Amino acid sequence: MLASRVKRRLKARCLMPQLDFSVFPSQLFWLVICFMTMLFIMSRFIIPKTAEMINLRRAKIDADLEQAEEIKKHVEETLEKYKKSLAEATAKANISLQKTRDELNETVARKQEEISLRMKSEMEENEKKIDEAKDRAMKKVEEAAADLAIDVLEKLGFSGIKAKDAKNALDLVKREQL
Amino acid sequence: MSNPLEQFVIKPIIPIEVAGVDISFTNSSLFMVLAVVVSTLIMAFCLRKRTMVPGMLQSVPESLYEFINNLLRENVGVEGLKYFPFIFTVFVFIAFGNLLGLFPYAFTFTSHLTAVGSLSLVALLFNIAVGVKNKKLGWFRTFLPRGIPLALAPLIVPIEMISFLSKPFSLTVRLVANMTVGHIMLKIIAGFVVSLGVLGIIPLLFNGAIVCFEIFISLLQAFIYTVLSCIYLGEALHEH
Repeated sequence: MLASRVKRRLKARCLMPQLDFSVFPSQLFWLVICFMTMLFIMSRFIIPKTAEMINLRRAKIDADLEQAEEIKKHVEETLEKYKKSLAEATAKANISLQKTRDELNETVARKQEEISLRMKSEMEENEKKIDEAKDRAMKKVEEAAADLAIDVLEKLGFSGIKAKDAKNALDLVKREQL
Repeated sequence: MSNPLEQFVIKPIIPIEVAGVDISFTNSSLFMVLAVVVSTLIMAFCLRKRTMVPGMLQSVPESLYEFINNLLRENVGVEGLKYFPFIFTVFVFIAFGNLLGLFPYAFTFTSHLTAVGSLSLVALLFNIAVGVKNKKLGWFRTFLPRGIPLALAPLIVPIEMISFLSKPFSLTVRLVANMTVGHIMLKIIAGFVVSLGVLGIIPLLFNGAIVCFEIFISLLQAFIYTVLSCIYLGEALHEH
């Protein structure tokens, strides 16, 4: 039986060997065996080994990405905090600056007032002193004028003129002049 | 020049017969076994040192994994991910079958209607199993989509049945035709290399270019076969 099949197969050689269907059972048999063996090897050893590494890598990448995301979030939070504290510090500094400026202005104003008050009082005092000096000087001038008038009159031959009279006469002249 | 079709002849290596059925270990079977062994060895070699940051070797199975994963997500959806090993194996098996066949004196089992047809049959049975498991009797709705008047059933049901059964057929023919044509072309041009003597350098260079192109075709066809399997699986899982 086998011999007749082989004979038929050799005959088919002249035609297209692809159309030799007598080999179908053996082809099917060995194909199923080989394919099933390969399926077993691939699904048991090769695919799990490959998948294991791919999945590990994917898990690692995912974990890294997650970590990166967390770090990013943390950085953003820190930045936000930093901005907030910066704003707070700026506000505080501004308040402090304003306060110092106000204090300074107040001090300056107070000092200015004090100085102007002191200057005013000193000026008043000095004016008073000047007036006094002036009065004193005027008195002396008047006395000198009276003495001079007595001297002039005595030289003219009028004697016995009292100082008081001379003074009254000068006062009279002064009033008339005014 | 020898017959370019001779390379496709299946020769028994170890004749085996069980209950009157010929299940001889042939050159085709040998390359199926080689596809399994070589792909497993390459994958194991690439995965021997696994690091968090993949090296060039490690990224080969990982890129393949991601690629099939995306393919399933896009064509079937998240629920299709449980059939990942099946689709992954289909891709690797066909890709290695195609690529191994490109070596000189090698046999391309993916150029055989019976071999690829068997794989498509396995895929079809798998699809039916998935469909029946998910939709129970509702799976038979595949042949009579909702909204079709019952009067049209005698017309629609056979059409849908033909459409359903032609899917594995079209999958098979597409892959087989591509592989066969590529190999015939390589063989014919390789024949010119010998017969043209010194001038044979020209077809030799041309053959080199075709081999590069065939490598691309091998991967592309494996990709197309896988995408279409995904789409059919998606149809088995979802409503029409």
